[in-house]
Amino acid sequence: MRIALFSSYVPFVRGGDRQIVDWLATMLERRGHDVERIYLPSLPWENRVLQEMAAFRCVDLSAADRVICFRPPAHVIDHPVKVLWFIHHVREFYDLWGTEFSVFPDDAAHRGLRDRIRAIDTSAMREAHAVFTNSETVTNRLLEFNAMKSEVLYPPLLDPERFRCDGFNDEILCVGRVEPAKRQHLLVEALGHTTSQVRLRLSGVSESPDYADHIRRLISSQGLDDRVHFDNRWIDDEEKVDQMAACLASAYVGYNEDSYGYSPLEASHASKAILTTTDSGGVTELVIDGYNGFVVEPDPGMLAERMDQLFVDTDRTRQMGRAARRRVVDELCIDWDHVIERLLS
Amino acid sequence: MRILIATNMAPFVWGGAEELAVNLQRHLVDAGHDSEVLRIPYQWEPATGIPSQMYLARVLACENADRVVALKFPAYMVQHPHKTLWLLHQYRQAYDLFDAGLSNLPSGEAGQRIRGAVIRADAIAFSELDSIYVNSEVTQRRLLQYNGIESTILLPPVNDPELFVGGRSEGYVFAGGRINGMKRQRLLVQAAARVPSCRLVVAGPADSPEDARELVECVDDLGLRDRVTVDIRFLSRSEYAAYLNDAAAVAYLPLDEDSLGYVAMEAATARKPIIATSDSGGVLGLVEDGVTGWVADPTIESLADALASAVSGPGVCESLGVGAHDKLAALSTSWEEILERLLG
Repeated sequence: MRIALFSSYVPFVRGGDRQIVDWLATMLERRGHDVERIYLPSLPWENRVLQEMAAFRCVDLSAADRVICFRPPAHVIDHPVKVLWFIHHVREFYDLWGTEFSVFPDDAAHRGLRDRIRAIDTSAMREAHAVFTNSETVTNRLLEFNAMKSEVLYPPLLDPERFRCDGFNDEILCVGRVEPAKRQHLLVEALGHTTSQVRLRLSGVSESPDYADHIRRLISSQGLDDRVHFDNRWIDDEEKVDQMAACLASAYVGYNEDSYGYSPLEASHASKAILTTTDSGGVTELVIDGYNGFVVEPDPGMLAERMDQLFVDTDRTRQMGRAARRRVVDELCIDWDHVIERLLS
Repeated sequence: MRILIATNMAPFVWGGAEELAVNLQRHLVDAGHDSEVLRIPYQWEPATGIPSQMYLARVLACENADRVVALKFPAYMVQHPHKTLWLLHQYRQAYDLFDAGLSNLPSGEAGQRIRGAVIRADAIAFSELDSIYVNSEVTQRRLLQYNGIESTILLPPVNDPELFVGGRSEGYVFAGGRINGMKRQRLLVQAAARVPSCRLVVAGPADSPEDARELVECVDDLGLRDRVTVDIRFLSRSEYAAYLNDAAAVAYLPLDEDSLGYVAMEAATARKPIIATSDSGGVLGLVEDGVTGWVADPTIESLADALASAVSGPGVCESLGVGAHDKLAALSTSWEEILERLLG
């Protein structure tokens, strides 16, 4: 089958939303399909968000038998067999509207824009042959905001067997872009409240130099320079596998994320427990408190308590690590055979 | 520096222009830049969809890049304050092919409106550029004639020169590349029928099942199966290079090609002489009769003479092959200089 994978991206920013596309392409190719990946840039700023949607509507992928759409506004394309694997809305006009993360004023003009975007999204979804999401979180948002039913297809890792467990050092590892919404600062603040000698490693690039500086100052001001390893750079795959293999446990405390994020999935395959927060969104679908990690309030004190516990009660930490692997492999069955069977149905 | 290479793509088709974009990206990265290729889907049929596809390119968000290097119509419509054009293709259907009556634009007012939109949009896009380069004399002339734009030629070396090492000739003539009516492989087979000593290998992907069938039927009808090999499929680069490296000469007869043509450039890299026809356009920038190969008339008789000469013995092919190699070296620009010009 000729399958086009269509998504948007921000040029020169590399993140998880390209991996879902690239990895699906690899897996489809391994199954003998003819695959074309189409990435078009999108920066949905208010003065051109509608223009961008109109432009994406003009994209002609009629050469494909089927188009699978990912990041918005790819889903507005016109194609007879359009399948959505919807990974998030333009959240500023959805769940972030009216929150502290909102970038738009709540005035008549912006409300009008918001409503227009929601209406276009809804009609684009109704045209689709099938609608899938990457998490319960996104499925719930589609139902709430677009009155659209959808099926969850958890995105697997490419070749997850690469992830292994070499042991348990004294570091809680947080891998991923260093951004305000990822809230690495919560982990640093929490470490300041710990009573054990547990350590923290933050690994990832930052598009917000101000935030990276804030993290650095926070580390210094709490006298944590010896206990935090801030690795503010691009971590390649091999290095990440090694860091995951060695760590004590992993942490992922982003704010209301759309999906579980690849980092907790990688930690699970490496048999490592996951520390997250009740308001982290998709990752809470993966982590059951006390079973394969901890889910606590987004509060430095509460996080500190669990960090100490992970460090002190290592038997339980290892046990939860084993459960983390079981959870993704046996219980949630996060694998490509299932994903591809559904996307091509 | 963050450099975005903006080009177009026909979904599920991969060719020389795609390789060039990837190669440019690789050289930029090797020089210490961050570079990505933006491939904008573009279908020129139906022609009525062209204005909306120009709009698509115009709207895309490229401000994250420090520089844009654009290669094709309509990708060069992207908006950016530092945009350089290295033009491989403009929309010829609105220019010379329109004048030649070979345009896909609808007749009458509808076609004129689309043509007008292309010409106006081109004028705006060209006026926004830092600098304009082309990859062939033909494109350079056309740009001057139709758009009043001066440009400089930057001809890149072939994409993977390490494959085209040349070597001992097995004595056959090789015709590689895409198989379609414009490339006239059937004419070549008909000419080979007149030269009993000529072995010919035609290998490459056919544009359509009809193109493939017509070529095979032509070989069968002329009873040439014993000395004309037809290998219709997408060849890997190494398979393609193996055919070329063992050939005595290469035949490449496109109708009015814009550029030197990758097939001809690869032949010259491997020190193989080239057979072209007097109406092959840009290819004649490389193929010079008696110096780098043979320029035949686009007729069976004239091509048969060229084929007979090419298979008459290794001596003539070897000296013309060296000529082709040296001429290409003189025409092409090193990647170092290309980067300097594009980013200058």
